[in-house]
Amino acid sequence: MVLVKLPSLVAEQAGGRREFEVDAATLGEALRALPVSDLLLDERGELRQLVNVYVDGEDARRGRGLETPLQGAREIRIIAAVAGG
Amino acid sequence: MGALLLVGTRKGLFFLRSDEARSDWELEGPLLTGWSVFHAMQDPRDGDLYVAGNNFVYGGTVQRSSDLGKTWVRSEGIGLPEETGLKLEEVWHVEPGHPSEPDTLWLGATPGALFRSGDKGETWEPVMGLVQHETREKWEPGAGGMCCHSVQIHPDDPKQMFAAISAAGSFRTDDGGETWVPVNKDVAADFMPDPFPEVGQCVHKLLLHPERPERLWQQNHCGVYRSDDRGDNWDRLEGNGLPSGFGFPLALHPRDPDVAYVIPEEGAENRVTPDGRLGVYRTNDGGASWTLLTNGLPKPAWGAVMREGFASDSRDPAGIYFGTQSGSVFVSASEGEDWQEVARQLPPILSVEVGEWS
Repeated sequence: MVLVKLPSLVAEQAGGRREFEVDAATLGEALRALPVSDLLLDERGELRQLVNVYVDGEDARRGRGLETPLQGAREIRIIAAVAGG
Repeated sequence: MGALLLVGTRKGLFFLRSDEARSDWELEGPLLTGWSVFHAMQDPRDGDLYVAGNNFVYGGTVQRSSDLGKTWVRSEGIGLPEETGLKLEEVWHVEPGHPSEPDTLWLGATPGALFRSGDKGETWEPVMGLVQHETREKWEPGAGGMCCHSVQIHPDDPKQMFAAISAAGSFRTDDGGETWVPVNKDVAADFMPDPFPEVGQCVHKLLLHPERPERLWQQNHCGVYRSDDRGDNWDRLEGNGLPSGFGFPLALHPRDPDVAYVIPEEGAENRVTPDGRLGVYRTNDGGASWTLLTNGLPKPAWGAVMREGFASDSRDPAGIYFGTQSGSVFVSASEGEDWQEVARQLPPILSVEVGEWS
């Protein structure tokens, strides 16, 4: 099981839950299991451009992206990129 | 029963609730904080609220509330199929379906996309006849990103509809959305090499009059227009009291098809209300002449009202409502004769719609 931590705006859309424990083999599988997956992934199932995801502190985009294996991983942290106004 | 104004802003949704006379107003909100509310409306068929909301990180969503905003349910992921080569960018406008189809809603979006829901907004299917229209390659994305902002349904025939898209033009369907024809004859597109093309016109708002449904009005990038034959032909209504043909919002009188309201701006290169004042222009004669209404509106003022920021109710006398980019909401309970500022210092206002509460 891996713990997924959501930013507050996304957590509001998940009924106020900030954390979810999911059983998944890859990062993509974990994100698709969330009730807010549509906010994190677009209609092609790709990570939205300004959604950053860290698996045990490592930026998933710099590695294997949604294919990142979760074996042994403890925490997925989702953070909105610094942007906007 | 009081009026309920739904005020969509860049920073969430606000309510303004009035008494029966529409003279005292109470502000409530913000709701859905963190979301830019491009459009919010109350479905007249069942009183549910719908919001087209966007977040620059998390995309476009539709939210529904059956308890006047206490709780919200988000639509399932909205998107365009891979075969189109397009991805949803923003959701812009939610329109209730025909009364004979109580679970149907329509959603306009960028890039030049229309969706239909048959289950009160739980799921949305793209209207491929418009998304993949044969003229699409001639559409020219403008600053609005080719938003589908206007959806109008014939009150006597749910299969007759109109959709308008910025920098693409107006389109009509007579078969419930399967096929669409452009209806842009004599509507100018001064920014194109051919100023009267089949498509590519930059419509800013399109409305159908419910009492005379063959009559359409549009505020365009290049003028104000009226059609009396379902969009087959358009008359440009200028040189008759309007200081400018440029503007975004449009409102209609609920009963008199000759009465319309616009809030012009100086022009495309200077997008503020003309003459340093905030003014609403009304025609009582189908656009042959326009009168400036300013009683209660500020001067000096350099305002701007977005395309969804203007609304009318169906009471008698009709209420007219608008919100500005500088965060003020103005109300007239007298069909535009007198105005009252009922809220100020809100975030930039993107949309105003009127419903009811009790």
